[in-house]
Amino acid sequence: MALISVEEGVKRYGATLALDGVWISVEAGDCLALVGGSGSGKTTLLRAINRLTRLDSGRVLVRGEPVDRQDAVRLRRSIGYVQQDGGLIPHWTCLANASLVPSLLGRPDASDCGRRALGAAGLEPGEFGSRYPRELSGGQQQRVAIARAIAAGPDILLMDEPFGALDAITRTEAQDTFIGLRESAGMTACFVTHDMAEALRVATHVAVMREGRIVLQVPAGELVDRATGYAADLLEKSGVTL
Amino acid sequence: MSGLRTAAARGSWTLALCTLPAAVAPIDAQDRDRPILVASKPFAESYLLAEVFAQFLEANGFAVERRPGFGMTELLMQAMIAGEIDVYPEYTGTGLAAVLGETAGGGSAAVFGRVSEEYETRWGMRWLPPLGFENTYAIAMRREAADSLGVRALSGLTAIASDLVGGFSPDFIGRDDGLDGLAAAYGIEFRETRSLLQAVKYQAIEEGAVDVIDAYSTDGAISRYDLTVLTDDRGFFPPYDAAPLASRAFQEERPDAILVLTRLGGRIDVSAMRRANERVEVDGRPVVEVAAELLAEVGLGGGLAEEASESSGAAVRDADRPVLSALPRRMWENRGELVRQVLRHLLLVVASLGAAMAVAVPTGVVLERRRALAGTTLRVAGILQTIPSIALLAFMIPVFGIGAVPAVVALFLYSLLPILRNTYTGIIEAAPNAVEAGRALGMTEWQLLARIRLPLAAPVIMAGIRTAAVINVGTATLAAFIGAGGLGDPIVAGLALSDPVMILSGAVPAAVLALLVDWGLSGAELLVAPKGVAEGRR
Repeated sequence: MALISVEEGVKRYGATLALDGVWISVEAGDCLALVGGSGSGKTTLLRAINRLTRLDSGRVLVRGEPVDRQDAVRLRRSIGYVQQDGGLIPHWTCLANASLVPSLLGRPDASDCGRRALGAAGLEPGEFGSRYPRELSGGQQQRVAIARAIAAGPDILLMDEPFGALDAITRTEAQDTFIGLRESAGMTACFVTHDMAEALRVATHVAVMREGRIVLQVPAGELVDRATGYAADLLEKSGVTL
Repeated sequence: MSGLRTAAARGSWTLALCTLPAAVAPIDAQDRDRPILVASKPFAESYLLAEVFAQFLEANGFAVERRPGFGMTELLMQAMIAGEIDVYPEYTGTGLAAVLGETAGGGSAAVFGRVSEEYETRWGMRWLPPLGFENTYAIAMRREAADSLGVRALSGLTAIASDLVGGFSPDFIGRDDGLDGLAAAYGIEFRETRSLLQAVKYQAIEEGAVDVIDAYSTDGAISRYDLTVLTDDRGFFPPYDAAPLASRAFQEERPDAILVLTRLGGRIDVSAMRRANERVEVDGRPVVEVAAELLAEVGLGGGLAEEASESSGAAVRDADRPVLSALPRRMWENRGELVRQVLRHLLLVVASLGAAMAVAVPTGVVLERRRALAGTTLRVAGILQTIPSIALLAFMIPVFGIGAVPAVVALFLYSLLPILRNTYTGIIEAAPNAVEAGRALGMTEWQLLARIRLPLAAPVIMAGIRTAAVINVGTATLAAFIGAGGLGDPIVAGLALSDPVMILSGAVPAAVLALLVDWGLSGAELLVAPKGVAEGRR
């Protein structure tokens, strides 16, 4: 069953058509990469899934239920979210950040959830839990952001260029952590990237976007064979050899 | 009690109503014991006359509260109508020209009759018998200049005024029976006209910075600075007979006190007044002592000088001492008054600042949600901020009258912009990425505000409050002009009496207060700074 699906999604910002009749579907346990240049509509599509953006027409279903009929706050608390710059709350410790969603849900074990999540994201909770975000490196901050997204044990994870701001080595390490985490927890994920190599490395499926449309949606393993035109250009730019 | 008997006949319901006056009777009695509020305008003669009224009333067993240098004519009229003061010394010509807007016709008696009639019908105020001297405007020049130009009368200025610089009090420049009327009556047009406070006018003419000034015919300084008073040969200035002006409430509540003041009628002649003015303005002697001497000279005193000098905060001028060494002594001598002024000042600042915080912080938060309105709102607050403070205070008078309330409202309006602007920008700039992530993870808008935005914006908001507070401490000194009290009182009085020590005894504490407020609130800024955001804090 598709855990996430978007049907005929349309979104306008003034005269610009950000989404132009988009269809996607993510099966439980899959990881979909939304790939495209800037302005292709990939972030808008991602934000439509947890209702940060509302579509002008078409609909979004999460767990089989249209998001418009779900309570936005409850929906968002049930979905992990990571953004490019981390978005950590600067005056909260890393542990407080990591425990955010369990504590919003009123869970008495919120701190334990946060600690476990920090550990799972590759940060020793005893060492990092009491530090403030600005005392951490960019890669460590991004790991806290991932820990925060998974702390309440969501079945769905959304990520907006989660590794985009990291240097090459840190990025590979963070990607590996994420791949391990997702597979062991069986999480369904959808993430935005402009890097085809990253999509191939991390995702099970790839959707290529251009000017608000999906130009190609394939399992990651078939991408290299089936990429033509724009998708092939993107592959080439990302240094993936055809 | 006859009313009570009638009521009993009509039944219990009416009885209940009619017993009400009996129930409030003690308050009424208390009202009769309240001190008589004696005010004056901010110049030496007015201080002296008010002190004469006060001492004479006290000598006859009345409790008196002094409001020296309360304000100029318009302000005093507002206060009289509002019942905030009972009596002050006024001049018939001022009442006729500045208040009633009429031109002089006839002599002293005619003018007194005219103002008595109009004040009675319009406001129920009563002009008590004139004190016995006239203090008309006197246009004066340096004697040697007048001699060399051969000018004796105002009509002699017509031909030569275009070579002369006039220095006049703002009051004289502003009023119809002042400079404009004079210029029209004599066809005088000065090369230049400067607005000078009483405090600096005589120095300005002595140094030759101006050639012609407005003075008062009873000024003690006229002889001291060797000035010639030009004759009003076309009879432009109306008679300015000095008299106590009593409010409606005062007449109704204290007819016995009115009777006492009536006894001052005709007792003070022009030479006695001029001598008294000279003692204050030239010799720098305390108003309280000189007033007691004046009363004694005219046969109404009785050794009040020593007692009075203690009971009033009036200044002792240290004529021979340098200002800076005299200041600490003066402040120490007046410490009780100084503490009251500081507390009053703080009250004005705290009340206005508190109200501004209560309005501007929530408004700033709302503006972030309604950014379309933000530009307009901040512009309006910005316009309020650009109104000169003295003008803003003046705007308050028609709406709120005088005293602390209009001052607090004006200071409140001044405080809005810094707090509003800082709240708005503080909220907007508070870690937008963290706010976005918090929202994406299911924080409600209230949680975002209370747990992320406000804590992060707190130091910025606090900085706005600090700016507003420092502005307020300074601006509140001007509030003395509209009768709000505070540290502006000695400044205004000192300007009127040409007393630099008195000016500084208000200005220095005000400056110190501003620094302390700034320092205290900068500490508060550090206290509210959230942890983990910037290095070096907590």
